[in-house]
Amino acid sequence: MTAAAPTRAPGWIRRNRDLVATPVIVVVGLAGVLVYTATRQLDSVERRALDPSYLWPRFLEQIWLTVASTVVVIVLALPLGIALSRPAAARIRAGTLAFGGFMQALPPYGVIILLAFLLGFGTMTAIIALVLASFLPVLTNTVVGLLQVDPALIEAARGMGMSGRQTLLKVEIPLAVPVMVAGIRVALVLNVGTATLATFIGAGGLGEPISSMLYLGRAQAVFATSAIVAALALIIDWLGGVAERLVSGRVG
Amino acid sequence: MSETVQSPIDSTHRSGQRPMIALEGVSKTYPKQSKPAVAELNLQVPEGAIVTLIGPSGCGKTTILKMMNRLIEPTTGRILLAGEDVTDVNGDQLRRRIGYVIQQVGLFPHLTIGDNIAVVPKMLGWDKRRVASRVDELLHLVGMEPDDFRDRYPRQLSGGQQQRVGVARGLAADPPVMLMDEPFGAIDPITRERLQDEFLEVQRQVAKTICFVTHDLSEAVKLGDRIAVFAARGRLAQYDTPSEVLAHPADDFVTEFVGSGAAVRRLSLLEINLLELEEIVISGAGAAGKDHPVLSVDGAGHPSAWQHLPGSEHLPPLVTVPLSGTVYDAVDVMLDGRAPVVVVVDDNGQPRGALHWEALVADLRTKGQPR
Repeated sequence: MTAAAPTRAPGWIRRNRDLVATPVIVVVGLAGVLVYTATRQLDSVERRALDPSYLWPRFLEQIWLTVASTVVVIVLALPLGIALSRPAAARIRAGTLAFGGFMQALPPYGVIILLAFLLGFGTMTAIIALVLASFLPVLTNTVVGLLQVDPALIEAARGMGMSGRQTLLKVEIPLAVPVMVAGIRVALVLNVGTATLATFIGAGGLGEPISSMLYLGRAQAVFATSAIVAALALIIDWLGGVAERLVSGRVG
Repeated sequence: MSETVQSPIDSTHRSGQRPMIALEGVSKTYPKQSKPAVAELNLQVPEGAIVTLIGPSGCGKTTILKMMNRLIEPTTGRILLAGEDVTDVNGDQLRRRIGYVIQQVGLFPHLTIGDNIAVVPKMLGWDKRRVASRVDELLHLVGMEPDDFRDRYPRQLSGGQQQRVGVARGLAADPPVMLMDEPFGAIDPITRERLQDEFLEVQRQVAKTICFVTHDLSEAVKLGDRIAVFAARGRLAQYDTPSEVLAHPADDFVTEFVGSGAAVRRLSLLEINLLELEEIVISGAGAAGKDHPVLSVDGAGHPSAWQHLPGSEHLPPLVTVPLSGTVYDAVDVMLDGRAPVVVVVDDNGQPRGALHWEALVADLRTKGQPR
């Protein structure tokens, strides 16, 4: 109690010190790659590919593909997962999750190109392909998160006179949120990586400089753009981790 | 309307109280099962009484409890709450009028202790200030300081504390009826004893009608004003006061269920202050007749040692038992202290009389009926 004043304030920092690692690695790594690239002789093709006026729109496309597909997944998979977790759906639960696993197992590279032939090239098709690839983790985690809620809590809630809907909204979902958020985090990371494939059906993204420089044999530019994708993936994963920490801190 | 549903069982004993809960011809058959889990049950729970429901595993006692608040819907029959037929009313609304406490406690881990207790009052639309003062009142009632516990989370409490909060939560909206499903079943024996004592103390203040499922006969005997002993398929084998169930089991099933320990268990129903105690003489108080036990006392008048016991060569160690205890407690200290005689002391530690081992195995002279 006596020495509380200076030590109490940074308590949450001490508890979450491990969260500092990722941003530090990303900043240091990116800076290293930039410095390394700046010291190399780049030809005009490479310089054009690494020019911010070209890279920035690709970067934004990458983020748009990731965010849009993840939002669609959340909008579809959360309600479906909640429905599947209800006792009435017990019979179709296993089958639906198995089908989700089947979709997840399809190689995204093949799916994205097949879909392009079915639905046409462009961003819309790319987002649909990303949704298929990242649907399962959100669906599974929603179902698992709700099913792992202690049945005694549900019995207590019903026994106290909560309706089924109140039990879901006030007890089950709040307790399942950390597991649901973990699933969304996995979906985000899957999507930010898979979105590099969108370039093959003309949907842009950071895959575009990577594949074109690879095609032209410019290893230096491939390396630099790949580093940006990796950094983006790490940061998105980190944001997901922070969100998870925030919600599970509340629920304990 | 209260007199219309007296059962034959009820009328043979202290009746006159109206039944707060009545099950009339209630059966439960689960889907895909040919035989009913509970068949044609009639049961009346008098207002203000604790009725313990006991029976072997699978006898349907929990099913019966859960039919009272319709967590399990009966297949046939009627359920009456204070004379009102609640068989077909909205189940959620009904359950808000009935306290419910379960073995696993079921405190919501994402809510504070205060918010856990406040769940039902909030659903009933109480205003904030009324809810807050009710939470504090209930925490006081179960012996927990509101300022210390209101804002804590369930995981920060011991099992015993959590169960106290569970009881407080069940009482939150001041329901006339409480249903308790083995609430102390998962708690260590020492804490359980204490919780049972506290529970009886709380009940003295709130006087609810309580149905209490247990599988522990000692608990059923200790807490119940009446015991309902169930056989398989929810057959009510006996429904009577604890001492009647122990002294006069209704049939072979109850005899076997009550078991060979019945005589010993009955001791715990017999309070020492109802017994005729043997007179004792304080040494130095003159007239030390040799036919009474003689006791020496310290300055405060507390017994310190035996001086003389009629018909006894060497003197046993001195053991005492409070007047408020039961004969079971007296036997316990006798066995523990290897003493065939125990001094009964009152609340101030003053000796009031002696109780002999021989007197226990012979006829116990009582001043009145055991409860």
